Amino acid sequence: MSLSWAWLFLLLATFPWLLGVDLLSDSIATSGVCLFISGAAIIAPCRRLRRWQAVLFSACIGFLFEALRPIPDGSLALLLVFAAIYLTSHRDEIRDMPRMFWAAVLVNGLACTAWFLAAGLAYLKEVPLLSLHFLGQWLLHLLLATILAILLLVPLALVQNFAMDKIGVPQPDEAA
Amino acid sequence: MDNNRQGAKASYVALVFFTGLWMILPSAVRRFNREAFAEFQAPALHLVGKGRDLARYWELQSRSPEELVAAARDLARINAALELKIHSLDDARKENTRLREMLRYPQSTEFVTVVARVSVRETSSWWQRIIIRKGRSDGVRPGCPVVFGDRVIGRVSVVHLTTSEVDLVTSPGFRCTAFLEGDDQNHVVHVSGRAGLALSAPRAMVSIIPLGYNPPAGQIAKVMTTGLGGVFPSGLTLGTLETGVQTTSEKHMLTGALTPAKELSFIQEVSVLIPKYPTAGEILLTPADTGKAEEFR
Amino acid sequence: MKDFDGQNPSAPSDPISAWRLRVIFFFFCAGFVYVAVGLSYRQLVQSVSLTEKSDNQGQRVVILPPSRGKIFDRNGYVLVDNRVRWSVKADLLALQPEFRKEYLALLKKEKDRFPDRRPDYDQLQQTARLNVLNAWLTKIWFVIDSTNQKAAKGTAKVKSTPDLHPEERMVHPDTLRKHLNERRALLFPLILDLAFPNSGHAVTSEEGNRSVARFIEQFPVQGPITLEADMVRSYPNGKLASHVLGYVRDTDILKGQLDDELAEKFANLQKLGYTGKKGADGIEATYNEVLSGHSGWEHWTKTSSGYNKERLEAKPPKQGADVALSLDTKIQKSAEEALAKIVDSQGKALPAAAVMLDVNTGEILALASQPSFDPNEMADRVTQAYFDQVNSEGGWLNRSTQGLYAPGSTFKLITATAGMRANKIDWDDILDCGPSYMVGGRAFPEHDPVGYGQVDLEKMLAVSCNVWNYQVGLRTGPENLAKEARRFGLDAPLLQKPAEHNNHSTTELPNPATRMVVPDRAYKQRIAGEPWTDGDTANTSIGQGYLLTTPLHMACLIASIARGETRTTPSIIHDPGRDGRHAGAEPIGLNTQQLNALREGMLRCVEEGTAKSVRIPGLPYAAKTGTSEYFKKGEKAHLAWIIGYAPADNPVVAFCVLVEGQLDTSTWGGKTAGPVARDMILAWRSAADEKDK
Repeated sequence: MSLSWAWLFLLLATFPWLLGVDLLSDSIATSGVCLFISGAAIIAPCRRLRRWQAVLFSACIGFLFEALRPIPDGSLALLLVFAAIYLTSHRDEIRDMPRMFWAAVLVNGLACTAWFLAAGLAYLKEVPLLSLHFLGQWLLHLLLATILAILLLVPLALVQNFAMDKIGVPQPDEAA
Repeated sequence: MDNNRQGAKASYVALVFFTGLWMILPSAVRRFNREAFAEFQAPALHLVGKGRDLARYWELQSRSPEELVAAARDLARINAALELKIHSLDDARKENTRLREMLRYPQSTEFVTVVARVSVRETSSWWQRIIIRKGRSDGVRPGCPVVFGDRVIGRVSVVHLTTSEVDLVTSPGFRCTAFLEGDDQNHVVHVSGRAGLALSAPRAMVSIIPLGYNPPAGQIAKVMTTGLGGVFPSGLTLGTLETGVQTTSEKHMLTGALTPAKELSFIQEVSVLIPKYPTAGEILLTPADTGKAEEFR
Repeated sequence: MKDFDGQNPSAPSDPISAWRLRVIFFFFCAGFVYVAVGLSYRQLVQSVSLTEKSDNQGQRVVILPPSRGKIFDRNGYVLVDNRVRWSVKADLLALQPEFRKEYLALLKKEKDRFPDRRPDYDQLQQTARLNVLNAWLTKIWFVIDSTNQKAAKGTAKVKSTPDLHPEERMVHPDTLRKHLNERRALLFPLILDLAFPNSGHAVTSEEGNRSVARFIEQFPVQGPITLEADMVRSYPNGKLASHVLGYVRDTDILKGQLDDELAEKFANLQKLGYTGKKGADGIEATYNEVLSGHSGWEHWTKTSSGYNKERLEAKPPKQGADVALSLDTKIQKSAEEALAKIVDSQGKALPAAAVMLDVNTGEILALASQPSFDPNEMADRVTQAYFDQVNSEGGWLNRSTQGLYAPGSTFKLITATAGMRANKIDWDDILDCGPSYMVGGRAFPEHDPVGYGQVDLEKMLAVSCNVWNYQVGLRTGPENLAKEARRFGLDAPLLQKPAEHNNHSTTELPNPATRMVVPDRAYKQRIAGEPWTDGDTANTSIGQGYLLTTPLHMACLIASIARGETRTTPSIIHDPGRDGRHAGAEPIGLNTQQLNALREGMLRCVEEGTAKSVRIPGLPYAAKTGTSEYFKKGEKAHLAWIIGYAPADNPVVAFCVLVEGQLDTSTWGGKTAGPVARDMILAWRSAADEKDK
């Protein structure tokens, strides 16, 4: 199998996790909270994929989230691409599990903030963006994104690493 | 310098360049991109929907035959009653059409009904949406009203090939006109979705209520569609007006919260009312070159 | 030029040059000191005021108009309301990118066409803005247009060229320029009233609602076009009581309604006022202060290009107080409907007036004047054509309170009263009344060519005998007649506000007539320069000659007689606690038999006399008709009068109807004005019965 397509197979392996989180959001729909894991989903691939592959993978993860939601196009995808470029050029920041946790929490939180803000700006006329209500909502989403990143990073990384092993993506040290 | 960082600067520059490019790209490209990723997920969403149906099937399977027989009997009775009602409604519809023609009164919009199962519910602070398993291939168009029985659920905002996104009544992208129960003069009021408070039921707002309006004594006022805008048929229930209607800051009018008609977050099946002819607003959103309507927001 | 050492011969070593340098150095130093001191002064001394000035330049106050109070009738029925006005507005700040794009396109086109000419950049910018706004306007019209049948069939296309639209559907360049100059910070109104988008185009309220609903449900929620709702004056009954209610017109709030607190607090800030409304006629004008309320304001910071940025603080406007009128909508409606039925040979309604009063309180139950106008047309979008039309019909005049007419035979009540009070005649005296009566060598005619024979007071009132009045008038004398008319207040100004309420206008309705005439010897001498003659007395005794009064005065006269008093203070404002005392009122000064004869005569007038045709079976009422002459375009025409009260035995309401006959109409008091009185009495009876239930 060509390594060039590794990002796509990895995407297919990651997609069920994203769908699973969407279904989790669905089950708590009355609470008006959107659960989010896309940021954490790019951490493990960024350790091993080549930069361009990681960039493509992250962009797709972002677009997948945006596709079914009224978020301005590209706002999440571009942020994830930025995160992917940073992570692939600072692989030492995610070389072990504790650092990966930190990165997952940071990237997931940042990405969550990005889509939340972008969506808020899209509805600026109807929604008071600068209000305590908005701040509370944002903190709640951020908190849940952090918790999910911590909870799901390990199983997600295991599956992603398993997929990458199967595809033949080099180990982190070799990739570096 | 770390090997990993080689070329990072170029990547950042490329990212900035791409971001700039992305902003000035024709909207058709962005739309295509969005559509592609939506279609990528469509089979999975169908699968989820089918999974729900299967779960429901197995749940029904677990019921006793007696229970199912009783349910079937009840259904048969309801069906018979509905048959009769359909006949009488048919006569009324013909009479209505004849009278409207006589009075040269605009004919009410004709709709084709498409029943759709709900795949996934999408909620956040900024939107309340559902994704249904009917799309362009089933004739669904952006802007179509979505109902459950005589209750308004929302309206279609984006249509994909086999799925559609529906903005619920409580979503900020939704707005329509309504009459209030108990308002003898039938003032037109404005209903629009509002961003929901987290961990609480989503709400819509009813605004531009005349100052003199009093809800019917001892009852919660129903909020019903006017049928004047050519999108929603008249008399559908949008919800109920919550007590504690407040005056606006200018003290000119009243404003209140709307509790949606159906518990929107648990809905499993909806009907999409597709107008026989596209409305003027729909034509407005259709770019001349594509013939395909843009997202209705 | 250089010397051998390579030095410049005019180097500083030259003493003169050094001196020059010192001077230059001094000036430089002085300049530096000046700048340094100036800067320090600005920084240290003026910094506070300069900061304030700079802050002020970056801020503004937007004045918010208050909603006017409502006007009700005596039963709480809404006569003047505030209607929701849905306006479609464009956010010019959000449209900036579109303006820019269009501007660049126009600029390129201009440069391609005239490469050598310098483009008019300002004009191009203005055109670009207009094009963008008109393109949006086209889209809005496409959605709301009820005549867009093709849209219903799905075959319509949105027109991209706004030129194809009629002019009133496009943004007027002057309007946009004015907005950009004066109200750049506010949203630009594309359609001011969505329910009535075409000012000259009449639409039903349902069609209006459809326009609003189409826009709300079909136009995209997102984007630079927004929907706003505010309140405008609405007269739900159209022309009903338009002369009483009046209308409103635009006013610049900045020049009128800023309260002191606001003026002081934001003295140095730029202020942006909305166009407010001010009463221009009727109650809207005379009670403007009460109805207006107080303006609110918003304190904003602004961007460098003049748009609003952030709202710092705000105070909501306060709605004006409501006013309850004494009118009864039912009676008013019946009066106006009955007046509308009186038409000339071409079917055009005759100028007329009708008044009904509460006998005891003097509150006006109906005050109609024909022709009238629709205040809705004046409230928001008056057209010159409509203004001219009303003007040519004479519709602005409130004939009930401002029209001056000879009272004709209705004045005979005064003549009879004056005669009895002067002991020149008694209630049972019988006079011989032939077909005419000679006064000063001239035969004054009876309106019945054979005369009425033996006539007493009751019969006189029933048949409206002229000869009886000539005789009694001459016996009583002009001074007594004038004195009696003045005692009943026929020349006194009416509708004066109580002193505590007249902070703005001194009268309850605008400009009630003040030039009523009750003639006497001195008056004629002054006006005509001639002495008074017996002929003048005879004319006055039958309500002709120089006598001039208003229908409201005559209604007050009959209400006073019904109560046995001399004065009635009419009021258009409803006050449930009104005590029924009338300023200047005194007992009429007749004994019971005389007063009864007067009342019996008026009852007979309806039962068997000149108002027989409008009697109401089962509801006896008292009335006196009159048909006086006036000159129209040099020829004689007739005024038809009827005054009276109902019920005859226990008076509750008094009325007066006047119709201005035309040259080609046959106008008679009982026949022409009577039906209006009858309809008003029936409407009062029905309203009273309803209340009793």
